[in-house]
Amino acid sequence: MSKEMVKEEAPSSSGVVSEENRPFGSLRSVQWRINLGILPSSSSSSSSIDDLRRVTADSRRRYAGLRRRLLVDPHVPKDGGSSSPDLVMDNPLSQNPDSTWGRFFRNAELEKMVDQDLSRLYPEHGSYFQTPGCQGMLRRILLLWCLGHPECGYRQGMHELLAPLLYVLHVDVERLSEVRKLYEDHFIDKFDGLSFEENDVTYNFDFKKFLDSMEDEIGSHSNSKKVKSLDELDPEIQTIVLLSDAYGAEGELGIVLSEKFMEHDAYCMFDALMSGAHGAVAMADFFSPSPAAESHSSLPPIIEASAALYHLLSIVDSSLHSHLVELGVEPQYFALRWLRVLFGREFSLQDLLVVWDEIFTADNSQLHRDSEDDESSSFKILNSHRGALISAVAVSMILYLRSSLLATENATSCLQRLLNFPENINLKKIIVKAKSLQILALDSNVSSLSSTFGGAYNCSKSAVVRGHSLSSDSVSPKTPLSLVPDSYWEEKWRVLHKEEELRQNSVGKQTPSGKKRWSEKVKLSLSRTESDPSPARAENCKKGHRSSIRRSLLEDLSQQLGLEEDAEKGGCLGASNSEDDHCIEVLVEGDNCTNKESICAAEERCESGSGTVVSDENSSIFSEPASPGSGTNDHENDTEKSSVASNLFIDENDDHQQSNLEDSPLPVSLPPEDVPLNSLHENESSGKMVSAMKERRHLSGRFQWFWKFGRNNVGEETSDKGGTNEAAKSPNHDCKRNTADSLTAGASRNSSSTSKGDAVDQNVMGTLKNIGQSMLEHIQVIESVFQQDRGQVGSLDNFSKNILVGKGQVTAMTALKELRKISNLLSEM
Amino acid sequence: MVLVLAIGDLHIPHRAPDLPPKFKSMLVPGKIQHIICTGNLCVKEVHDYFKSLCPDLHVTRGEFDEDSRYPENKTLTIGQFKLGICHGHQVIPWGDLDSLAMLQRQLDVDILVTGHTHQFKAYKHEGGVVINPGSATGAYSSFTYDVNPSFVLMDIDGLRVVVYVYELIDGEVKVDKIDFKKTATTRSAQ
Repeated sequence: MSKEMVKEEAPSSSGVVSEENRPFGSLRSVQWRINLGILPSSSSSSSSIDDLRRVTADSRRRYAGLRRRLLVDPHVPKDGGSSSPDLVMDNPLSQNPDSTWGRFFRNAELEKMVDQDLSRLYPEHGSYFQTPGCQGMLRRILLLWCLGHPECGYRQGMHELLAPLLYVLHVDVERLSEVRKLYEDHFIDKFDGLSFEENDVTYNFDFKKFLDSMEDEIGSHSNSKKVKSLDELDPEIQTIVLLSDAYGAEGELGIVLSEKFMEHDAYCMFDALMSGAHGAVAMADFFSPSPAAESHSSLPPIIEASAALYHLLSIVDSSLHSHLVELGVEPQYFALRWLRVLFGREFSLQDLLVVWDEIFTADNSQLHRDSEDDESSSFKILNSHRGALISAVAVSMILYLRSSLLATENATSCLQRLLNFPENINLKKIIVKAKSLQILALDSNVSSLSSTFGGAYNCSKSAVVRGHSLSSDSVSPKTPLSLVPDSYWEEKWRVLHKEEELRQNSVGKQTPSGKKRWSEKVKLSLSRTESDPSPARAENCKKGHRSSIRRSLLEDLSQQLGLEEDAEKGGCLGASNSEDDHCIEVLVEGDNCTNKESICAAEERCESGSGTVVSDENSSIFSEPASPGSGTNDHENDTEKSSVASNLFIDENDDHQQSNLEDSPLPVSLPPEDVPLNSLHENESSGKMVSAMKERRHLSGRFQWFWKFGRNNVGEETSDKGGTNEAAKSPNHDCKRNTADSLTAGASRNSSSTSKGDAVDQNVMGTLKNIGQSMLEHIQVIESVFQQDRGQVGSLDNFSKNILVGKGQVTAMTALKELRKISNLLSEM
Repeated sequence: MVLVLAIGDLHIPHRAPDLPPKFKSMLVPGKIQHIICTGNLCVKEVHDYFKSLCPDLHVTRGEFDEDSRYPENKTLTIGQFKLGICHGHQVIPWGDLDSLAMLQRQLDVDILVTGHTHQFKAYKHEGGVVINPGSATGAYSSFTYDVNPSFVLMDIDGLRVVVYVYELIDGEVKVDKIDFKKTATTRSAQ
């Protein structure tokens, strides 16, 4: 056994594990045996050294018995050669499965498999691990364990779990021999308290030489001073001595640190680790391909555990989580190796020992969940402290690589980063973070995870990743923003820049329905939870900063809609640039959004603050978008959109995300009513909601306007238009009034936005000018539409409708004039 | 622990169509490390079949073998033992122990495997072992029709060799076992 192994540098974070509950701190093998449940812990029932020895001896006896039973030597007759064996059965070519030869050949095959892995075990520490003695022990242990657990068989990775266990035993034995050298005197066999040396004479007293030895005594005195009594020694050394006293309890078999019984001890440790020692986390589960019997999900345990990992990650850092999910990086790609070998392949051996110190210190007993959570699918791995710590370590490792993971846009390179964990790491940091995450992990393992779990698992399978993650996120609790690291916003910015290119490409694509694409795009942005509005933010930021780009994008959009007035649309969007910041914050509250919101958000983006066009036509469009010809649907859409719009705008002004939720039901009831609008309109002081309402109207109007134009130019039925005209007629009046007010409100908001930041100021100015221009354009558009309307009045069925239309047009014209004035003002700014 | 199959005198297709099915079911690839064939296979197909059981195949030439490239004698070393192979029709009188002993001394082997008589024999003498696996198909020999199909499996383990004899008697496979131990002292050449 080489000594170099022992003298390797101590890991950087040796002091992480607290010392008070580690009486055998320096003797890892003993400590781990206690943690794994093989040896009684010192806290329980005042176990003494003797108890430790007895338990050790028992476990070793068990192993020896197992070995005798299972390791088959076909040459040795089974019953000690009593009766002549039935040769027909017991010959080498026998096909009989019970024959010793049959078992022998099966064992030989198993051994071959094990050997394949062992030959590649820790080549960098080959001076120990590749020695035949060590290999032989590992082979036997693995063979016996697999024979004892035929349902598991041997899987690659088990050898990696076993190797460090054997290593710590070896290290401790080396330490023992060191101590032995230093404190030789205490290790000498003491039969009666007298130490016997290699002399023949028992009583070492030479009568003849008595006088001569007087002088020697002076020398021997100094020698004797070195020999302290046992009690005066370091407690650690004391323990070592007591543990290895050959005459203690159970004699030699009870020597806790013994080279002779290393194999036995390693087997016990391995068995305890694999079977979980009646705890929640059994490593053997991770190797089985079939779902566990009592698992709620029908997935293999390792997949479930990987999903638990991702679940924890989504709670802690949802941006990174969604980034990985989008790229299609499924957790089990890397978590399989991490979990199966308990990070054996990720850290160097010394670091790994530190990590395992932590993991084993964590208690593995199953945490009892209260009552109702039993039926739901809580993650099995998170059902114990140890399991939670394991998941937490994994998540902390992922977070350690955060910046490089977010930087890559490629699933392969992500996986490369994850699978090649860097060498020089601050292990202490990872462990500390893991401990903090452990608590979170334990708390998060509550009911109603099934939806998250199912959703998260399915979304990796479905093509529309974002849609699914959206639905799953809708159930998850609010993410605690406090867990976001300091560099979060810098990361966000970088991510946004990258997102923008992606988004531009995506927007340019043609889809059957432009609206659907909008909804998808917005869904994309809304699929992130509140802590990660990046794509939407990206979109809005970019729109703010480059209105021209937005216009071109919208031109694409409008092409699909068949619109001619692209410029207006662009202008319209440009007008909303001023509301960028608002939009951004608005989209922050993506939480309980659904598809409906997507439309609203698009709508909202189209227009905000620019008080241009609201007309009959707008309101008519209002009801069309979702399903032309279905009035009720349109109405619903309207309400939905408006609700979101209000939500969004409420958010934008304050960070009142709670109020967002409360307000959402309110606007739903409002659409058909004018009066509340007016009243709201006057209550500027109640402010946010009012503006929200107005903006909602405004928004819906704007959005309708878009669709309206699309419909018009593709020659859709005007009868629909007429019908819808009537339906939304009355609100229109107020809408027009509101637009003016909302414009001022928007202006005020604009001014408020200018105070928000220098970077925004210039944008705001530019956008204001754009607003003015777009307003003019919109006004022209509306006028043209009015003329069209007049032309189509005759086709309406209802005379009353005609009248209404006429009235509406008049009011619309007046409103338009006002808007013209305002736009002039704006363009002069 | 090395398993060596000693087999021969099949006389396929002239005197027998194929190995008995019970023997065939026992001979599966993967268990046997070497095959020693005394000769008289006689055709290439049998050779290929043996190759499929084990790639390490040693054949000596019998008088009816169609492949004339097989050698008359062959020696090989497995573990601590030296083995010699010869068909046996060259050794006259056929099956005579002393003559075979002469051949064994000539080849300087510990274990001599010969055939031709279609009778199973295993002698131990003068520190050496002479084994005759008999005929695996039970083909008639030059002097008798009463032949039981048989072959031999040797389990060489260090200085000990265990010889398992498989015989098909009345349709049943009978197995017998013989232990031989090689003395550690090396035999002098003279």
